[in-house]
Amino acid sequence: MEVLCREFWHANQEGSGSLLAATISPIAPPSYLNRLDAIYHDTNAASISKDISYSLTKTAHAAIQYPNPEITSWTEIYSAYWYAIGAILAAEHTTTRPDWTKVYEAWKDVANTVIKGYSSGVLEAWTLPVLYTVGKHLRSFAIKADEHARASGTDASFNAGGLQDDIAGDFGKNEKLEDAARVINRMFTLCISDRAPLEESRKWGLYYITNLLFKTYFKLNSIGLSKNILRALSASRTDMPTLDSFPRSHIVTFKYYVGVIQFLEEDYAQAEENLTSAWHMCHRSATRNIELILTYLIPTLLLTRQQLPSPRLLSPYPRLGALFAPLTLAIRIGSLSAFDTALAEGEHEFVKRRIYLTLERGRDICLRNLLRQVYLAGDLDEEGKRNTRIYVKDFAAAIRLGEAGGSAGNMDVEMDDSGSGSGSAGENNDEVECLVANMIYKNLMKGYISRERGIVVLSKTGAFPGTGI
Amino acid sequence: MSSHGAFTSVSARRTFARPIPASSSTPSPPPSAAEKAKRDWPESVRHYVQRAFAAENTIASIPRQEMEIKLKKIISNSAENNTLGTIDWVKLPLPQQMILEERARPPLISANPPWGNGLAPLSLQETNVKSTDTSSKKRKSSEMDISQNGQEKIPPWRMASVRNVFEDRVTHPDKRQRNDVAAKVSSKSHHNLANRKKRFEDGQSGYLSQQPFSPSKASTPQDVDQGPIIGRSQDLEKRYFRLTSAPNPDTVRPLLVLEKTLDLLKRKWKKENNYSYICDQFKSLRQDLTVQHIKTEFTVSVYEIHARIALEKGDLGEYNQCQTQLRALYSQHLGGHPEEFKAYRILYFIHTSNRTDMNDVLADLTPTEKRDPAVKHALDARSALALGNYHRFFQLYLDTPNMGAYLMDMFVARERLNALSNICISYKPDVKLRFFTEELGFESDDESARFICDHGGQSFLEERDGEVRLLTGKALRFFETARNVAFKKVDIKGQI
Repeated sequence: MEVLCREFWHANQEGSGSLLAATISPIAPPSYLNRLDAIYHDTNAASISKDISYSLTKTAHAAIQYPNPEITSWTEIYSAYWYAIGAILAAEHTTTRPDWTKVYEAWKDVANTVIKGYSSGVLEAWTLPVLYTVGKHLRSFAIKADEHARASGTDASFNAGGLQDDIAGDFGKNEKLEDAARVINRMFTLCISDRAPLEESRKWGLYYITNLLFKTYFKLNSIGLSKNILRALSASRTDMPTLDSFPRSHIVTFKYYVGVIQFLEEDYAQAEENLTSAWHMCHRSATRNIELILTYLIPTLLLTRQQLPSPRLLSPYPRLGALFAPLTLAIRIGSLSAFDTALAEGEHEFVKRRIYLTLERGRDICLRNLLRQVYLAGDLDEEGKRNTRIYVKDFAAAIRLGEAGGSAGNMDVEMDDSGSGSGSAGENNDEVECLVANMIYKNLMKGYISRERGIVVLSKTGAFPGTGI
Repeated sequence: MSSHGAFTSVSARRTFARPIPASSSTPSPPPSAAEKAKRDWPESVRHYVQRAFAAENTIASIPRQEMEIKLKKIISNSAENNTLGTIDWVKLPLPQQMILEERARPPLISANPPWGNGLAPLSLQETNVKSTDTSSKKRKSSEMDISQNGQEKIPPWRMASVRNVFEDRVTHPDKRQRNDVAAKVSSKSHHNLANRKKRFEDGQSGYLSQQPFSPSKASTPQDVDQGPIIGRSQDLEKRYFRLTSAPNPDTVRPLLVLEKTLDLLKRKWKKENNYSYICDQFKSLRQDLTVQHIKTEFTVSVYEIHARIALEKGDLGEYNQCQTQLRALYSQHLGGHPEEFKAYRILYFIHTSNRTDMNDVLADLTPTEKRDPAVKHALDARSALALGNYHRFFQLYLDTPNMGAYLMDMFVARERLNALSNICISYKPDVKLRFFTEELGFESDDESARFICDHGGQSFLEERDGEVRLLTGKALRFFETARNVAFKKVDIKGQI
C-alpha cells in the first residue's frame, strides 16, 4: 500500500499525469511484475479504505490538512481499484472459468469513482491520463466479459414472456460493451461540459475520449452513434483549443475515425481530406496505424482521383499488398476477369473491413482502361489523328474477351458479335451500350453514343479524361 | 464448516452475554448488537464470529478478552461503514490473527492520527501476516462460490432463473434449450419490463375487475415474469390487444387451436383479402405464441406468412417486425425459408440505400446461401445497380423469384429515373421510345410513355416516321433533377 501511495505522491510532485495514470493501471509494469499481487495482499477488505487514507497521509511530503478532499477522493478510487485487482487476480489465476463480468463490474466502479472525482472538481485537468487509462481498460474488460458470456451461452436472447408481443428480443450480444459505451459517454460529457479556463480545462481530454468512444461504437457496429458525438464537438468548436494544439496522437486517430465515418457515408471528398491528413501526420513507425489509414485511403483515392497505389507504397506493408495488389494489377491492365476474380477472392476480407462496396466500383476504372486500349488500338488517319468513331461491336468484343479472361492486348482477334460468345454479361450490344453510357455519365469517357449507327463518337480531345489521352 | 457451526454458536452467544448485560435480551450472536439489538446479521458475519471463537483458532498468547474487543471493533466498524455486505468475511483474517500481526510490528507513528477515531489497531494493520495469506489462498476456490452465492442484492440473472421453475412444468420435451435462453434475458430489458409494468399497474386492476370469471391470480406484477402459460381458449379468432398485464390463460389459445387458426386465416385471406382484419389476427396469433413460449417451425411459418402478406400490401412496418423476428428464429435453425428472407433483406437494403447494413448482410452470407437462386438474384441486382448496369438490373427485375418484386417495386421508379438521365447524357441526338421500354423493363411502349409523362417529360417526346422518340439532349437536365429528388432519403418504418 505504501508503494502505491509513494508512487501517487511522486506523480503529484512531478505533476505528471502519465505517472499518476500508471498507479491505477490494471497491468503490472515489466519492472515490477508482482505489483498487483503485492498491493492486493497488502491489506484486506475490512481495512482497505482506512489503510489507504492512512498511507496516503503518512507518505505525503508536507503536512496535510484533514479533511482533505483529495485524499478522500483518492481513497475511494484506490479502494475500488483494490477490489478490481482482486477480481482481476481471481480471473487470471483460476483454472476453470474466469469471471470477467465480475472484473468488468469492479472496474466500472473504479471508473465511476474517477468520474465522481472529476465532476466534484477534486481531480484537476492534468490528471486526465488517469481518465484515459480507466476508460481504455473499461472497454477491454467489457469486450472480454462479452466474449466469455457469448462463449458460454446461446447467441440470440429471447423474450421469455413478459409483455412482449414477439418472441425474439434484442440481440444482447454486447451487453457489457454497450454499458461501457455509456460510461465512456459520461466521460465525454465530463470533458466537453467543463467550463474552466482553457489552461486547466478538461477539454484537452476530449479527443482522446472521443476516439475511445468511436472505437467502442465501431466495435458495437453502431457507427451511427458517432454522428452525435461529432455534432456535439462541432457545436462547441468555438470555445475549444484549435485542433493542432492537441497531442498529435489524439488528432491522427480522430482524423482517421472521422475519415472512415465519412468514407462509410460515401462522402469521399471529405474522407480523402481527413484520411490524407491522418496519413501525413501519423508517426512513420506506427505501421499498424498507417496500414489502417491506407486501408481506407486507397479505395477513396481510387474513386476520387482514379489513383492506384504504387508497388513502392505497398511494399513496406505486406498485409496491404496482399489485400490490394491483385485488384490494383487487374485495374491497371484493364482485365475484367482478373478484377472479378480478385474481388471475389478478397470478398471476405473486404467485407470485414467495409471496403467491398467501394472497391467494387473500381470495376468502372478497370473497364475504362480496357476501352481506352480499344481506342489506342485503332488506326491513325493521314494526319496522324486517331479514329474517334468506334463501333459498339468492337467495344463488345473487348469486353467479351476481357470477361472471358483473355488479355486485352491481343485485340486483333476479330470476334463475331452475333455469336452468343461466352454467354456471360457481354452477350448483347445493348448491355455494352449501357456500360459505355455509364462511362460517359461518370465522366470517365467523353463522347456520345449514336444508337442508330451503332457507333460511339469519342471527343477529339481528352476522350479519356485524366489519362493523358 | 457448518458441521461444527452449531456447536460454536452456542459458546459465542454465552460469552457475549456476560460482558454486555444489555445484549442479554438479544439472542443474536454479534458483539456490537447492544444498541442495534434486533439486527439481523448476515450469515457470513456469523460464521466469522464463530470461527473467531472456535477452539482450534485460539492463540494462546492472546487473551479472549482482547480478541473479543477486537472482534467487536471490526464488526461495528464495518456496520458503521455499511461494508457488511461487501467485505469478504471468509477471507478476512480473524481478530486474533490481526492482533498477532500488530504485535509483531512496531508502531509506525507515535500518536493515533486524528481521523483514526480510536480505531488505530485497524488502520495500523498494514501488511497481512504470512499465515493468513496462505490459508486464504488454500481456500480460494470454495470462497469464490460463497461470495458469489452471497446474499447481496439479487442480481438480474438470478431473478431470471426464478422463472425456470415454471418452465419445467411445460411439456415441450424438444425445447430443452429454452431454459438457457430464458435465463439470459438481459438485465436492461428486465429493467424496462419492470418500468413498463409499473406504468400499467394502475389501470390494470380495473381491467381485471371486469372479468369476474378470471380464475388466475395474474394481477400482481411479479406474475408477469413467471414463464410461459398454457392457454385454454378454443376460439379460432381473437382480436389483438397489447398486453398490459399478465396474459390470462382463458383468452390464450393453445398450439392445436393456433394451428387451426392459421389455416382459417390463410383461407380467409385468399377469399376476402381484408388486410386490416388479417394483420390484426396475425398479431394476436403471434402474441399467443409468445406468451406460451412456442418456438417451433410453426412459429417460423406464422411469421413468414405474415411477412409475405405485409409485403404484398406494402406494410413495411409490420414486414420489418416479422423480418427481425425471423432473423432470430432462423439463427435457431427451426426450419422455414431463410434464403428467401435473406434475399428480401438484401433487396430491402437496396431500397433504403443502407450501405452499413448491406455490408453486414454480405458479411453474414455463407457460400451455400450465395448460390441459392433467390439470394443470388438479389446479390446480382445489387451489384448491377452498384455498377450502373441498368440493362442487367431491369432484366433481373423482370425475372424476380418469390415476392421480391414487391420490394423492387419500391425503388424501381427511382432507378428508372437514374437510367433515364444516364441515357440522356450519353445518347445523341435522340432515342426511340421502344428502346426505353426494353431497357427499363416496361411492359409496353404505353407504359414507358406514361412514365415519362408522369414525370413531366412529355414535351421531350416527339413523333417522327410513325415512331415516338425522346430528345435526349434536351431532356437531360430535366431528368437529372427528377432523379435527385427520387434519391433523397427513404422514409423507413420499424427498420431492422
